[in-house]
Amino acid sequence: MDAGGASDSSRQVRVRFVTKLPPPLRAPPTSIAVPADLTRLGLSEIVNSLLLAASPGHQTQPFDFLVDGELVRLPLQEFLLAKGISAERVLELEYVKAVAPKKQEDPCPHDDWVSAVDGSNRSFVLTGCYDGLARVWKNASECMHVLEGHTDAITSASFINRGVESEGRLHVVTGSKDRSLCLFKFDTSVTVPKQIGAYKILRGHTSSVQSIAVDPSRDMICSGSWDSTIKLWSVEGSEADGDTVSVKKRRTNSDSSGPEESQFEGSATSTFLGHMQCVSAVTWPEQQTLYSASWDHSVRQWDVQTGKETWNMVCGKALNCLDCGGESSSLIVAGGSDPVLRVWDPRKPGTLAPIFQFSSHKSWISACKWHPSSWFHLVSSSFDGKVMLWDLRTAWPLASVDSHKDKVLCVDWWKGDSVISGGADSKLCIASEIGIV
Amino acid sequence: MGHSDGDHDDLSADDSPWSEDIWSDDNEGSLSFEDSGEGSDAESDETDALAAEESDSSEDEVAPRNTVGDVPLVWYKDEEHVGYDISGRKIKKRDREGRIEAYLRNADDAKNWRKIYDEYNDEEVQITKEEAKIISRMLKGKTPHTNVDPYPDYVDWFEYDDKGHPLSSAPEPKRRFVPSKWEQKKVVKLVRAIRKGWIKFDKPKEEPNFYLLWGDETDTADNKRQGLSYIPAPKPNLPGHEESYNPSVEYIPTQEEIDSYQLMYEEDRPKFIPRRFDCLRSVPAYEKALREGFDRCLDLYLCPRTRKKRINIDPESLKPKLPSKKDLRPYPRTCYLEFKGHNGPVKSLSVEASGQWIASGSSDGTIRVWEVETGRCIKVWKVGGVVHRVAWNPQPDRHILAAIVDHDLLLLNAEIGDEEVQMRTKKLLHIEELAPEEEETGDKKPAVKWVNHDKFDGIMLIHHKAVSTVEWHFKGDYFTTVVPSGDSRAVLLHQLSKKHSHHPFRKLPGLPIAAVFHPSQKMFFVATKKFVQVYDLQKAQIVKKLESGVREISSISIHPGGDNVIVGSKDGKLCWFDTDLSTRPYKALKTHLKDITSVTFHRKYPLFASSSEDCTAYVFHGMVYSDLNQNPLIVPLEILRGHSSSDGRGVLDCKFHPRQPWLFTAGADSLIRLYCD
Repeated sequence: MDAGGASDSSRQVRVRFVTKLPPPLRAPPTSIAVPADLTRLGLSEIVNSLLLAASPGHQTQPFDFLVDGELVRLPLQEFLLAKGISAERVLELEYVKAVAPKKQEDPCPHDDWVSAVDGSNRSFVLTGCYDGLARVWKNASECMHVLEGHTDAITSASFINRGVESEGRLHVVTGSKDRSLCLFKFDTSVTVPKQIGAYKILRGHTSSVQSIAVDPSRDMICSGSWDSTIKLWSVEGSEADGDTVSVKKRRTNSDSSGPEESQFEGSATSTFLGHMQCVSAVTWPEQQTLYSASWDHSVRQWDVQTGKETWNMVCGKALNCLDCGGESSSLIVAGGSDPVLRVWDPRKPGTLAPIFQFSSHKSWISACKWHPSSWFHLVSSSFDGKVMLWDLRTAWPLASVDSHKDKVLCVDWWKGDSVISGGADSKLCIASEIGIV
Repeated sequence: MGHSDGDHDDLSADDSPWSEDIWSDDNEGSLSFEDSGEGSDAESDETDALAAEESDSSEDEVAPRNTVGDVPLVWYKDEEHVGYDISGRKIKKRDREGRIEAYLRNADDAKNWRKIYDEYNDEEVQITKEEAKIISRMLKGKTPHTNVDPYPDYVDWFEYDDKGHPLSSAPEPKRRFVPSKWEQKKVVKLVRAIRKGWIKFDKPKEEPNFYLLWGDETDTADNKRQGLSYIPAPKPNLPGHEESYNPSVEYIPTQEEIDSYQLMYEEDRPKFIPRRFDCLRSVPAYEKALREGFDRCLDLYLCPRTRKKRINIDPESLKPKLPSKKDLRPYPRTCYLEFKGHNGPVKSLSVEASGQWIASGSSDGTIRVWEVETGRCIKVWKVGGVVHRVAWNPQPDRHILAAIVDHDLLLLNAEIGDEEVQMRTKKLLHIEELAPEEEETGDKKPAVKWVNHDKFDGIMLIHHKAVSTVEWHFKGDYFTTVVPSGDSRAVLLHQLSKKHSHHPFRKLPGLPIAAVFHPSQKMFFVATKKFVQVYDLQKAQIVKKLESGVREISSISIHPGGDNVIVGSKDGKLCWFDTDLSTRPYKALKTHLKDITSVTFHRKYPLFASSSEDCTAYVFHGMVYSDLNQNPLIVPLEILRGHSSSDGRGVLDCKFHPRQPWLFTAGADSLIRLYCD
């Protein structure tokens, strides 16, 4: 460290490094004077050298620094000036591991645009593709199963059971532009039958199904469609009832899928009317409430039992994606037909102004997701071909993943430390080893 | 007696006999008194005399005693006497009494203080108590007599308001109530005098007959009065130090500076270069004298004798007041999506009613359907000919695409939507072969022939000549095509459900360019080269004829309200017609440098746009108010650039998204761009 040179040119700030990280990464809590023009890199170097002094086996790694719950993204001096913090007192710098992908896994090639991805299962990744097939990838490297059933592009796909307890059997739902939803069930231990047909088709939408969401108790599905309705479907529902229907309406060309497979048809249990245009995104964070975003520029909250909308917010842009998360999963993030990712707090009364705006993208935002466990972290994908990681505590992106050559259509977290994204370059890209604690 | 005599005399003359009478009376009285008091001492005699004097109020009564007159008594100071009485005898001075004597007398006699010494007559006079009182009152400044009150209480003898009886019982005379005749006469006299000018109120101002000979010439107030426009010469600057014949050294430019002047432009060079001379004698003659004299004469001769009117107007204030662009959001601003796939100029595009898909036709011989949200091409028809125009059926449950391929019209099933809709569409796009056979009998070639198109499972409408445009009716059953060279069969109406065509408009004022249906009523607009004809379809008659005043109309669009029409022209002008207002353009916007290829209104937002061969598209705010008194508000909002020119052609078509404030533009660079808010 060139402390001598730095002290000539600028002022010094007394800082104390604190952390919530486990002990091997805990620096001594004494306050030290550092040059005030240090950036994140310089601070990171100091912490690393402190840690190295404490334990010689320490591996150097980047850190991020928090002052009063705000990430330091400027030189320390400028940051203090901008925030109006006095440089006289000892500054408490909390450091956390820097959030950025360290590794790019090999992309998984598809036959067509990858339009849907689900990473809620720890060992499998589900992708939906424009060729009408859904694929299940084991450990993000080999395609285990191909799920057939749709006649048009898949827009959305989701695991119904995502837990480890039903490791043997996976339950999957997909929505497609052919106006239907398909339910698939398959055994993960058996690797021989690569192609699996849908055991149940849910029909009822009059236009493309745009998004689907599974409720927290795993026995309901909701779907938003271009016919501006939201429909609720039960997963298992009336199995017997569905059977009788299937006898009559069994498709004639289903013999290709094999005689042993029977196909049921289900119909919606309820329909939510209210949106004026395409319902582009739905999410079901709690048992009783679901949120929907639409091209009519509104985000609505629905009461599942009554089917009435309980909250309506107009944001002025056509919306493409929506997710709930943050503190007690009550914040709403949505992106749409402009490059700004916005976060709203529906609990805040009387205002419809977004509480956070992230505007580093260059084009439409196609997908956004909260981190499943962290309150602060978000991932978003855009038509400019970038996937960006965000932290609510700073307006700058934490990291930007440039692995796609074309539009990115879908993105999700996987295993808590990876980001999987699919795009118009027919690839599923995985950025892993993101250090989110 | 005297009374009668004094009757004609004046008052003073009248008074004298009275006083004489009294005088005589008094004399008698005093005489009698003297008689009674004979033999008394001198003092008593004196008192008698005093009493006699006292009885007489007049001063003249005392005068006979000493007759010297009003002479200073100092003259008699050394004499024995003080004067002479009336009979000329000397009046002897009395002996002077000593001071002790006087004091004693004063002490003896209590009345002594009232005695006054009369120098003139040389005697002592005793004044009475009353007289003393009067004197003392006069000394105090009061009225002499005690019984005189100088400030008595005012008694208003003439107040009769409170009195029971007026002073006079005579009624108020009439003259109190009528205007005075004499006053009126006097006023009339004055008025007449004023009118005739005998009485003048303000005297005319005396004009000074002198003026400032050396006064400031620039004072134009005087010059104006002469009627001549006097233009004073501009004042020259006063000479400075550098113009002295021997200026200080610092004013003298160095040789380098003088050389550098030669490099300057002639206008920038300094007019005067200071030089030093030892004495005034060595100063040469002014070298430019002749030149300047000539210039001066030239100036006088050529000077335009006009007064330059300077107007200081802020140019900003001349701009019309337009609302700020921020308040007019949303409107398309930036391009976020490009639809790539065509290999030739995209000549036309059309947006499906729900806004989920767009269709485009290109000169590479393909018709493509794109998904708006991702920009993915989902369907391609290789029709093999140049696609001039595509149009979606506006009905959301009829996914029929009308396209002009080469000369003819092709109706295609877009094959989107659910099975039921697709079945219906399929049925609609099927014609029985028998029907058109019978019409072939006429010797003239029929205007239109409906033929099944097997390859694309659609209908081909074979026109007798090349078709240029196609437009759907808002209900989706009728559509119109324009055959510019079709003479009397130039504008055709087709009914899809009956597979029937007819041509109701026989006569048109020029070559038809485009034809459109009214967005909600049974009206029809036909644009010819210079005019727009408005027809009522029900009554089958012309309603209005709009004169555009442009060289050649290229495109037309109707406001969703139906009362406003915009027309784009080949000379880059955009005309807005308010059909309620006039048949002439309400506003003509000269915006584009090259031909306007397409104009379009937004169905929901107050927006309209125009695209042009100069590779730009303009977006305007066009608010139409329901209040008939308020004219439409037109605000230019944004110039959308991004397309590149190819073969000198720019943007060939533009269409708004039906529900979002987005604009699609089709370019000659084979791209379709989507501009979002």
